Amino acid sequence: MSKEWEKVLWRRQDHPDNYIVAGSFLSSLRRNANFRPYTYWKLVLLSCAITQHLATIFIFVSVFVGLKENYLDPHILVWISVGGFSTGYLVWERLDRTTAGHEHRHANRVKAVKSSILIFLALMSLSPVLRTLTAATSSDSIWALSAILFGVNALLADYSAISLGGEVQARLTSVLSMNAAISASVVLASRLTNDLAVFALILFSVQAFALFPRLRHRLGSCLPALQLTFTVILFLASIKVAMPLLRTFIWIYSAVQLGLTFLAPAVLVWAQKFKNEIRGPWDVAVPKVKNYTDGSEQ
Amino acid sequence: MITDFFHPAVGGVENHVYMLSANLIRRGHKVGLVGLYFVIVITHSHQDRAGVRWLVPALKVYYIPFVPIASSATLPQFFTFLPYLRTILIREHIHLIHAHAGLSALGHEGILHSHLLGVRTVFTDHSLFGFDDAASILTNKLMAGTLKNVDAVICVSHTGRENTVLRGELFENYDEVRKSVYVIPNTLVPEQFQPAPPKPASAIITIVVLSRLVYRKGIDLLVATAPRICAAFPNVRFLVGGDGPKLIDLLQMREKHLLQDRIEMLGPVRQADVRSVLIQGSIYMNTSLTESFGIAILEAACAGLYVVSTRVGGVPEILPKDMISFANPDEDDVCRAVGEAIRIVAEGRHDPHRAHARVKTFYDWDHVTARTEAVYDAAMKAPQLDLCERMRRTMQLGPFAGPIYTIILIVDCLFFLLLEWWMPREDMDFVRAHWDHAVFDEVGLWLALNSGYGLTTSLAVPKGRSVMADVLRRM
Repeated sequence: MSKEWEKVLWRRQDHPDNYIVAGSFLSSLRRNANFRPYTYWKLVLLSCAITQHLATIFIFVSVFVGLKENYLDPHILVWISVGGFSTGYLVWERLDRTTAGHEHRHANRVKAVKSSILIFLALMSLSPVLRTLTAATSSDSIWALSAILFGVNALLADYSAISLGGEVQARLTSVLSMNAAISASVVLASRLTNDLAVFALILFSVQAFALFPRLRHRLGSCLPALQLTFTVILFLASIKVAMPLLRTFIWIYSAVQLGLTFLAPAVLVWAQKFKNEIRGPWDVAVPKVKNYTDGSEQ
Repeated sequence: MITDFFHPAVGGVENHVYMLSANLIRRGHKVGLVGLYFVIVITHSHQDRAGVRWLVPALKVYYIPFVPIASSATLPQFFTFLPYLRTILIREHIHLIHAHAGLSALGHEGILHSHLLGVRTVFTDHSLFGFDDAASILTNKLMAGTLKNVDAVICVSHTGRENTVLRGELFENYDEVRKSVYVIPNTLVPEQFQPAPPKPASAIITIVVLSRLVYRKGIDLLVATAPRICAAFPNVRFLVGGDGPKLIDLLQMREKHLLQDRIEMLGPVRQADVRSVLIQGSIYMNTSLTESFGIAILEAACAGLYVVSTRVGGVPEILPKDMISFANPDEDDVCRAVGEAIRIVAEGRHDPHRAHARVKTFYDWDHVTARTEAVYDAAMKAPQLDLCERMRRTMQLGPFAGPIYTIILIVDCLFFLLLEWWMPREDMDFVRAHWDHAVFDEVGLWLALNSGYGLTTSLAVPKGRSVMADVLRRM
């Protein structure tokens, strides 16, 4: 039995139980096995989704302030919303053309028109109710509440990009995120004084928080140049809209946006050198199964 | 023995603790020194099972009134166990505690407190953990804190040892593994897994799967491969025992491929019936995705089955290469390995009785008990760590966890001093009289005969988990 020590349990070995062969211990340990380092510009491109989302929120808040200060005419906002919807829908159609079949697209189009009319009418009839919804609540609470809700919205939003062929899968967090934003806009809208303004704001919020993220998802997989241009346009637009009203905030906002887009990726790239991922035979293996039908369960 | 996992719950750790205790008691018997080892088990109470109970053979069990939170584990509370433990250790004259299982809070607390009484500590880790999810990170840190001051650690496989050393940060001088980390495999009672008597040759080959039907046991692989194997080998039949959330997937697969006559589902199988299920087949298939030791594989091999298993965790260590075929956890490779196994069995190249005889030489409780005893000896002889040294070691845990654990350690000492003043040792009711082993043998025999367990010889020889009938309450 006096043999070399082996890493087996069935053979009775001469060595004591705490024997460790130098070199063999932890030989199967792998560090950073599946590690692919991020590159800076890739991260900057990925952070564009966040920049766009924050810009949307900022535009929305500016629009709200504009309405509240009677600086912005609600009629114009309604027309902007309708125009934005039409443009967005055309872009969506254009992207859809490459994937879905003709029949399918036609059915989709009818459905989209039907539901948009429905939402339009529902919002219109609801706006007097929404206007007085929180009349009994003090404005301070409303500001705090909407700030928290927008924070939740920004934290939980789905910033991932999908390839053109993929289905848009609504995750629980992204649904929560949308709900938070719509609730925030409802409570904000209840601070406005006339029904048309309330209607215009809610309509705008549906555009900005329910429909735009879906479009952004699609655009995320487009050409990097297009993505970048779009981000810059959105950022400049947000500053332009806010300029007359939220002058002091613009500096903070711009700093945050620039930091997120250019500084945060740099920090992440730097922090990668501390990465120490340990893999070994004790890890739960991932079963490789072909045509695994339902990916929903674990 | 201190663990959260003990009879009446069933499972690998439970059985291991019981068998180890029983064999230690029996070992004392053998050497002729009655009571060489006096073993008690401390665990949390199970519904109406609280207080002090006795199990065959003369195993005293303290059921402490703690409420388990999830899957029979108690909440890590650090201090609440001390009053109970102090009293028990003092009145039972305990010299050494042996805590089991990484997720047993009771075991961790036992290790934390025992030093206060100069009692030595041994810890056995039964499972493998990863490093990359929140639950693992927290429990690993908890374990590292406990294991900083333990006298000896036992792991059940070499892979398990590598894992435990990394998780528990069991290094001395930064990169040297501590000398007090041992590998002692789990084991079984080979007599309980006699192979089937030779049958008339039959063309049908039965593949047995006995497992909890959960994701970690790789049931997805089974679902994917079973239809392919059935299609490739018309003489193969499956026998699946076990229950769990993946049962529905298996049933769906069976229905979809119309394999009702080829795949038999047995539902949950009691531990006592495992052998009778195993011996109906000639190949055992294990598709686990993680396994520290894989006692089920050993049981199957002992019952004369040829084993096909995924190459995970400690499984590659437990059997020689000619008794087991390995596959990577992917569908094609599992099919290949099962095909290989079917050919080996069909050509008669695997002799069940020879396999049984071989497993018998590999694993037995006497051997394991002797090795554990050696660890106990080493732990008893190891230099006692004083409080300063323990605080110094605890501070090594890191800038964040270190101070927290050190504070816990100090508060624990103060709590202990309070207890010393409040419940002085002089007033304690020491245990002087113990059960006579002969009486236990009689009672055990009577029980065994009346409950139909096939025990013949002296009952000081534990015959495994089925004897875990508790006898009487003392007092």
